[in-house]
Amino acid sequence: MSMGGSFLGGAKDRLLPVSIPFRFFLTATGFHVLAWVVLLLGAQDLPEFSGGTGPILAAIHLLTLGVLALTGMGASYQLLPVVTRQPLARTWPARLSFWLMVPGIGVLAYGMAATDPMTLSVGAGLVSIGLVVFALLTADNLRRAGSIAVVAAHGWGALAALVGVVGIALALIGNINAGYLGDPAGLALVHMILASFGFMGLLVLGLSMVLIPMFVLSYGLPQPPGWAQLGLVVLALVLFSAGVLGDIPLLGIAAMIPATGAGFAHFLLMRVAFKTSMRKRLGLSFLMIRSSWAYLGLCLILGLAILLGAPIANAPALFGLILLGGWLLTFLTGILQRIMPFLASMHGSGRAGLPLLLSDLTAEGPLRVHAVCHHLALLLCGLGIVLNWTILVQAGAVTGTIGALAFAGFAANVLIKLKAPTR
Amino acid sequence: MSNLPGTHWQEPDGLHIDVRGLEPPEPMVAILGHLERPGQAGPVTVHHDRNPIYLFPELAERGWTYQKVPGEAGEIRLILRCPS
Repeated sequence: MSMGGSFLGGAKDRLLPVSIPFRFFLTATGFHVLAWVVLLLGAQDLPEFSGGTGPILAAIHLLTLGVLALTGMGASYQLLPVVTRQPLARTWPARLSFWLMVPGIGVLAYGMAATDPMTLSVGAGLVSIGLVVFALLTADNLRRAGSIAVVAAHGWGALAALVGVVGIALALIGNINAGYLGDPAGLALVHMILASFGFMGLLVLGLSMVLIPMFVLSYGLPQPPGWAQLGLVVLALVLFSAGVLGDIPLLGIAAMIPATGAGFAHFLLMRVAFKTSMRKRLGLSFLMIRSSWAYLGLCLILGLAILLGAPIANAPALFGLILLGGWLLTFLTGILQRIMPFLASMHGSGRAGLPLLLSDLTAEGPLRVHAVCHHLALLLCGLGIVLNWTILVQAGAVTGTIGALAFAGFAANVLIKLKAPTR
Repeated sequence: MSNLPGTHWQEPDGLHIDVRGLEPPEPMVAILGHLERPGQAGPVTVHHDRNPIYLFPELAERGWTYQKVPGEAGEIRLILRCPS
């Protein structure tokens, strides 16, 4: 039997077709650019934004659905079967969820930007069905899970949160037409917290327990802090939602105790991974991942300050920027720049039929541009929000767009190398 | 990292590593940990319970090649070699 290539052929039988995760990841990089451009168009509205339709809401959903959710879906389809030791039952629902999500996100964002209830409803319908397909396919895989129960439990938690997120979203959209909710601000806040900390947050925290040790080459992580992390996030979400919907501010403040505890449990787990890491040079991706944890810490501190009534100018917009752009976007771009070359290497074929080299697939230049622009954009937008200076937000959005274009260049380079004929 | 996960033993044909039953990413950590030990030039026989698809890019990056050979029922057996 020949070296390398023939065995990889056998391994490929257990891999998803590369087109499935890559279509999610590449499209996410496109929405990444679009989100910054739409933010630029609505820059004057960002500092005082606290809800309502318009370009800012569109930019937020281009980010949350277009970048974060699509990346999370692609990563889940690829990685959960590794965790559960069970292949996806079928691959066509994964493709279907993509083809529902992508036009749905575009139509939804347009409907939000233009405040067009009909368009918004059509887009929301497509996205909701896409997310339901994802949830069903993932639930089927988790149901058959054979190992690492704590990671699978995070997956179940994320799916439960997703059901709540979609339900609330549809209620909010119906409210635009019918006005049955009165002031929907509280429900919109629960939607955002449940989507970011519940759905995306639990996916990130759960998959991190496998991905981070895999990338830094460390021992498997201890499960008890993982269970604590999951339980504390769920408790925090329940307390916060009850506090907002029941108009009991004390519950919202109380929610910060388990939320902070969950943050500590996560940091503890990640510290264990780094302490036992075999990899000497972690590279730029881990600079992004580590900085995302700093944004998470900042986000929790800012959230507590807001709940305690600290006089912070334009606090809702600042919190949203740090939560979505700081923690989640920074983390996922860090993961994407590791996982895309990894997948390409497994599927591609280089010299003598061996896998493509990770070092050949990673274009460092565009990633450096992205890293600098990303953090600078967050800083400029953050300052623009606090100082209420539109010009700073505009400068931040332009910088973010340049960074996102550089990241798209990195992704395109991976695709080109993957598609290149075998040398 | 002195105590790598799994078990290992020496035979006339080289080092054997058994990572069956380990949760990801410990099989990969154990295998790469052994490969990176000073003086390790292979061949190394790996006893696995699944195709270690995420291992291959790491092996390629380190210049190692791999070959599938027959093993016990339910076993994936690989022989790793470092051509250099």
